[in-house]
Amino acid sequence: MKHIVYISRAVHALTDYDLQHLLDQSRRDNAENGITGVLFYSHGNIAQLFEGEEATADALYERISQDGRHSHVRKLIDRSIAARSFSEWSMAFHPLAAESFEALQGFLLPHRVPPAPATLPIADALLVELVRLAVFGPDPSQPYHHIVAPTL
Amino acid sequence: MLRQLQAGVATLEGPDLRYSFVNDQMRELVGEAKPGQRVADQPGQLPSSLLEVLPRIYAAGEQYTVKACACGPQHCYDLSVQPYHDEHGAMAGLLLLAVDVSEQEAARQRAHELALTTRRLDARLRVLTETAPLVTFTTDAQGKVTYVSPQWYRFTGQPPTADLTAIWPLLVHPDDRLRVLYEAEAARRVGAGWNFEYRLRRYDGAYRWMLSRALPEMHPPDAPVFWHGALTEVHQERELSEARRRGEAELRFLADSIPELVWTASAEGLVDYYNQYTLEYTGLTKEELGPTGWVGLLQTEEQAAAARRWVQSVASGTEFEGEYRMRRHDGVYRWHTIRARQLSDGSGPRWFGTCSDVEEQYRLRQVLQTQYDELSRAHHNLDTFVYAASHDLRQPTNNLRGLFEELRRSATFADPEQALMLQMVDAALTQLDDTLIDLATTVRTQRQQQEPVEVLDMALVLEEILLGLRPEIMQRGARIEVLVGDAPGLRYSRANLRSVVHNLVSNALKFSHPVRPPHIVLRSYHTPDDQPVLEVQDNGLGMHIDNPAHPVFQLFARQHTHVDGTGVGLYLVQRIVSSQGGHVTVTSTLGEGTAFRVYWTVPAA
Repeated sequence: MKHIVYISRAVHALTDYDLQHLLDQSRRDNAENGITGVLFYSHGNIAQLFEGEEATADALYERISQDGRHSHVRKLIDRSIAARSFSEWSMAFHPLAAESFEALQGFLLPHRVPPAPATLPIADALLVELVRLAVFGPDPSQPYHHIVAPTL
Repeated sequence: MLRQLQAGVATLEGPDLRYSFVNDQMRELVGEAKPGQRVADQPGQLPSSLLEVLPRIYAAGEQYTVKACACGPQHCYDLSVQPYHDEHGAMAGLLLLAVDVSEQEAARQRAHELALTTRRLDARLRVLTETAPLVTFTTDAQGKVTYVSPQWYRFTGQPPTADLTAIWPLLVHPDDRLRVLYEAEAARRVGAGWNFEYRLRRYDGAYRWMLSRALPEMHPPDAPVFWHGALTEVHQERELSEARRRGEAELRFLADSIPELVWTASAEGLVDYYNQYTLEYTGLTKEELGPTGWVGLLQTEEQAAAARRWVQSVASGTEFEGEYRMRRHDGVYRWHTIRARQLSDGSGPRWFGTCSDVEEQYRLRQVLQTQYDELSRAHHNLDTFVYAASHDLRQPTNNLRGLFEELRRSATFADPEQALMLQMVDAALTQLDDTLIDLATTVRTQRQQQEPVEVLDMALVLEEILLGLRPEIMQRGARIEVLVGDAPGLRYSRANLRSVVHNLVSNALKFSHPVRPPHIVLRSYHTPDDQPVLEVQDNGLGMHIDNPAHPVFQLFARQHTHVDGTGVGLYLVQRIVSSQGGHVTVTSTLGEGTAFRVYWTVPAA
């Protein structure tokens, strides 16, 4: 077993439809491959922690890093773990349109994300917190406007 | 035979130039010309200029040709006119030959226009290459320089007659020359472009860094014959980046030389650099430490708080500072001060952190604390001894006084001198007693400052104190009212509260008015600002107050010398209250009474 954490930037800002599509697709694939973890998305900023068997996790990361929908993929952690810390795979973001709160299925609002599980080593828990802060900002109940240097 | 010709053919007979033979191709030019018809009457597309000269050609009997003659709007013909003769050699007519050259003509026209455009583009290219702030050049496969733009001459100061191929390697800095020659040749050999930097001598002799880029001109499948490229001055950029590189290397060297844990982190709070000493101290690699691995080195019970504190610092951009025990490679934990500050400049915020080993200071502090505790205990023991001694000495003093009174009552003295002696003994005994009391009180207040704090039931405590003063109250027939309903509880030291109330009430009793029994009101309440207050009001002698809001009570200062006292009471009250941050006010009217108000400041928990 291993877990991998990365952050990246979406090439185009994802619409609610894109997010729902990504959510459905990832959930299906991850359930099939025994991948669990959490994905954060806000205003083009993406961060994900996922865990699974070594070969599947590596293959998934390989696929993710080749995905043309995002760029600046930066791997922060790639380490063996003794046991899973997440029981399922979930995704947290702010839907852009108010009506999407009703329509979108099976996502978490950023301020409803449960704290990092106690089984996660402290260094990784801190990492998840910092990554969450970087994606959602100091107040996760409010959509966060990043001040990011334009990337060429 | 004439019909087979790939040309228009017509014969014009006689001086009137009448059509006799016209082939199909000629019909395209002259239309449906019938034999015997005059050419002037059926000219078709033949240009009028030709029609005009035809009779003259006939008359002269000479040959005539005209190239690319426009016939009609669409076509061009090469026209040839030849006289022919009859069997007698006499002039018989003209043979007209027409070859359609429309396509050739159009092609020629296009070629001409292309040439014009090319010349225009060429001029533009020339202007551009010669005005752009860079040198353009062309070399062939052998490395022979076939062209450099005029900027090169301006930059190097070489005359236009210079042998380019021979001179340019000599203008390259000697340290770069071999490398440049080798790389350019290697690129030419494999038919690739190149991209390298070197120093080139300027007209003033200064070497400037240049960026040379070139690409081969490709015409597959042939090998390239020419390389075209540009030479840009990058001296300033290069020097800047060189300075930056040097600065960075020096800083890193500095950080790696310091026997402290030094690290930097990104704006997101993820550590991206640990200095050499960190790796030595922890015995871990950069990969093992990772972006947040430091937190795992702290004592287990301190990790969560440190992680929270760091997340807060990153979120708010405020400095991180704290003392933590950090694990060394051998498993020993040592105290460290961890400090991190955010640097915000043009390139976005970054964090710089240090962990300083304060184990020695920590140990020293512990030793000092132990010594301090011992001293404090010794001091306390001394106080207790003085208090006990003064207390224990009071009993024999009181006995002495009782015996002395008894003696004075029962014995008689004949000598009048002895009466004075008796007075002196009496005064000495009183002074001894007072001094012992003061000594005990002073020690007590000093101790009471460190008394434990608890929530006191005012009604109970006041009742206890009044019980202790019962003999004086009975003796003077005093009436005491206790009103604590407004503020029934107070968080304060019990001993201090007792001391304050005891002093104020016994003063009120002591300085009562001779003509009326004392009436004392004790009231506990809160100010509008919620500060607890105790008011002690009497109807006694009253006193003179200079500054009622900030009264000053001096040790041994007394206002009513006819009443017994040592002048310690009020001084003590003020000292106790103000040592806890509170204050005392007093209002008084001489002959009517006094009201003390004690504003308590509840000690911090």
